[in-house]
Amino acid sequence: MRLGILAVIVAAFSLSACDGMQSGGASSDGEMLVVFSSRHYDSDYALYDAFEKETGVDVRTIEADGDLLVERLKADGARSPADVIITVDAGRLWRAEQEGLFAPLTSDTLEQAVPADKRHPDGLWYGLASRARVLVYAKDRIDEGALAGYESLADPAMKGRVCVRSSGNIYNISLLAALIDRWGNDKAQQWATSVAGNFARDPQGGDTDQIKAVAAGECDVALVNHYYFARLMREDKDVVKDLALFWPEADPGVHVNVSGVGVAKHAPNPDLAKRFIEFAMSEKSQRLFAELTNEYPAVQSVTYENAALAELGEFQSDSISLQKLGENQAEAQKLFDRAGWP
Amino acid sequence: MTQLSGIGRLNIGPAPFGVAAAILCTLPVIALTFMALSGGGEHLEHLVETQLAEYATNSILLVISTIIGTLILGLPSAWLVARHEFPGRRLFLIALPLPLAMPSYIAAYAWMAMTMAGGPVHSASAGIFPTVSGLAGAAFVFSICLYPYIFLLARQAFENLGMKSFEAARTLGASPWRAFHSVSLPLARPAIMAGTALVVMETLADYGTVDFLGTPTFTVGILRAWISFGDPEAAARLAMILLLLTLIVFGGEKLWHRGQSVAELGGRTKPARRLVLSPKTSVVAIACCSIPVFFGLVAPIWMLAKLALETQAVRSPFDALQGTVIVASMSAILAVIVGLGAAYAARSGGWFAKASVQAAHIGYAVPGAVAALGVIAILAVFQNLLDMAFGPEAPLLAGGGIIGLLFAYQARFAAAAIGPCESALARITPSMDHAARSLGARRWSVIRRIHAPMALGGIATAALLVFIEVMKELPATMILRPLDFETLAVSAHHFASDERLAQAALPSLLLVGLGIPIMLLVSWLMARQQQDGVHS
Repeated sequence: MRLGILAVIVAAFSLSACDGMQSGGASSDGEMLVVFSSRHYDSDYALYDAFEKETGVDVRTIEADGDLLVERLKADGARSPADVIITVDAGRLWRAEQEGLFAPLTSDTLEQAVPADKRHPDGLWYGLASRARVLVYAKDRIDEGALAGYESLADPAMKGRVCVRSSGNIYNISLLAALIDRWGNDKAQQWATSVAGNFARDPQGGDTDQIKAVAAGECDVALVNHYYFARLMREDKDVVKDLALFWPEADPGVHVNVSGVGVAKHAPNPDLAKRFIEFAMSEKSQRLFAELTNEYPAVQSVTYENAALAELGEFQSDSISLQKLGENQAEAQKLFDRAGWP
Repeated sequence: MTQLSGIGRLNIGPAPFGVAAAILCTLPVIALTFMALSGGGEHLEHLVETQLAEYATNSILLVISTIIGTLILGLPSAWLVARHEFPGRRLFLIALPLPLAMPSYIAAYAWMAMTMAGGPVHSASAGIFPTVSGLAGAAFVFSICLYPYIFLLARQAFENLGMKSFEAARTLGASPWRAFHSVSLPLARPAIMAGTALVVMETLADYGTVDFLGTPTFTVGILRAWISFGDPEAAARLAMILLLLTLIVFGGEKLWHRGQSVAELGGRTKPARRLVLSPKTSVVAIACCSIPVFFGLVAPIWMLAKLALETQAVRSPFDALQGTVIVASMSAILAVIVGLGAAYAARSGGWFAKASVQAAHIGYAVPGAVAALGVIAILAVFQNLLDMAFGPEAPLLAGGGIIGLLFAYQARFAAAAIGPCESALARITPSMDHAARSLGARRWSVIRRIHAPMALGGIATAALLVFIEVMKELPATMILRPLDFETLAVSAHHFASDERLAQAALPSLLLVGLGIPIMLLVSWLMARQQQDGVHS
């Protein structure tokens, strides 16, 4: 009797699962674009919606952490359903490129829109939006004049005053990868060791938690991505009212990283993929990144309305080739490990 | 169904089910072993020279403190609820296992938000309540999230085993404590060990919580080998080392206690007769049962609800809820079938079946993301075979439907169903089988009329454990789900990884909320089982 009930339950669920599978499969009429993305921001959802509305194409997504996406794309090989790959961080773009996951895309529109330092030389990927790694400090405890660049965090005067997240985080790894390129291994190692010696507490939490720790007085300065600060400026003013953002421009500019988009090597619909990427670089798509996620659009001519970003003002970014961020990634983690930066 | 009825054919024997379960559960591990053997050693050397000792020390300290924490929270409450009558007992019966529905990284976010400088608990306690972070914080979070493993399995054991022996000991003048300590506890030891094993493996395999709270454990080393060094092979190798160490510890424990297993003598199982506590002791009992629920459930839910109310929901969580219910319930049913098959094999099979069932457990100690790596590799092999057989028309396993996902869940969590199924079947003594058989009952009829009603509680526990594990699972779900398919865990993670805890609060609350009807269902099944015990 009970097994009978069980059989009914199994059958019911199998049916509902088949249902789910059908809705997950390709619709026979309209066109479908499959996006594999490691981003999951409101701006991206708005972008997919806008593309669907304009073209009638059905956009389907898989969102997962970048490294899992790479492994999945590798394993799926020629059977991969992915048309477009979107990933955060130049280091991850580099890894996907090393694995041969992108197909080159040439497009005059894209080459004109995206500056050369924000795209792959062979068109394997194009930058979508960028973020800067910056300092956030307590105005009452730190004089702006005492800050210069990232080396300020290594200053002996900062002992016990610095908050940063753990070294396994890709934002920190990419920053150190850039510093290795800028300063060479030895100086980068010294920097990491000195910063680790200045920690106010063991690294914990995310970037927002570091900003909150500065606000709460646990530390005086934190190393974070700019958009977390901008988001708090817009949504949680109380936290940042006594804080300020500092652009570490000295020697020779602020570290900037990109999210990028490319056509998948085995894309079932490469033409559609190209159309999508061009759409993503259009004025109204690019605005979304600034207005919804507080990132800087890759297309520099784009105008947008974002009071927080406007208040933060202009800054001088470094001119490192983004490829280096990938190439130096493993070395950066090793320097962190040797520095005892958990 | 065909699987179950196959058990009836005695000439085949149950061993194939043990072997099948073992193969299913070990495939990803086998894939990882191949990966581990194919990589170079450059990054491992670096790890040994720098951080490995710290990773290992943190892991060991964390496991030890988590075991202590979960036993303190889980054992007394299980003993009280199983054997005593006090106001609120039925409520605690349902509430005590619920923190299991809270993914530990969500609990970590909530507790850190409460206790960090500026958080509500920090302000209310004038900074006296320490911030939940670091090793102590991680041990705290794992204790409050994982003690239900101990509670569930120990309670089941306390209710079903050692009743007569306990009463005999009491009649002979032993104090309740002494009777508990020297009779009930040893009888429940296999169940408590099974619970502890789950606690240890989950603690070792966790990445999200320890990374967030700043306690780099061995798993952090594994994930960094993969993510920072771009060396999944090194990650697989480290994962295999972790797995071997876990196996040695549990193998050692099994050997140590070999021959000490105690079984209640046969005869009719009596329904639990609970000791009614005096008002004074009731207060203590209520406190003992409230504390785990408060830390593991009430406080984090309060924080999440506060955040959810302050924030506008960005997207409706309904699709994610539906997705979670579909995959979790299908997986629970499948896992019970696998678990029962394996438990029958272990019960009546030879050493080979027993060894296979043991082997099925090992995948549990592999960190989720690394296990997902193994599943991806295995699915790729299957896909190649399919493609060879059917050409380009062959169906897609990963992302085409939920088959790939269901396989991943079984490979990862079916082992969790084996333990409770085994202890459910342990109540059924061989003499009952013999009696039934000698009265002319056929094997299938013995299963249906004796085993099924007696084992129902354990089966429900098995289904519950797997349901909750699947509900919380993240890496494999993210990467193997069909297009546009959401689960609550995935959607909570999306917000949390973007540091939007407030938006992550709603799907997290729904995750926990989903656990409540499931628990109600299970306790109803258990109540029925006890009635069956009376009428049989």
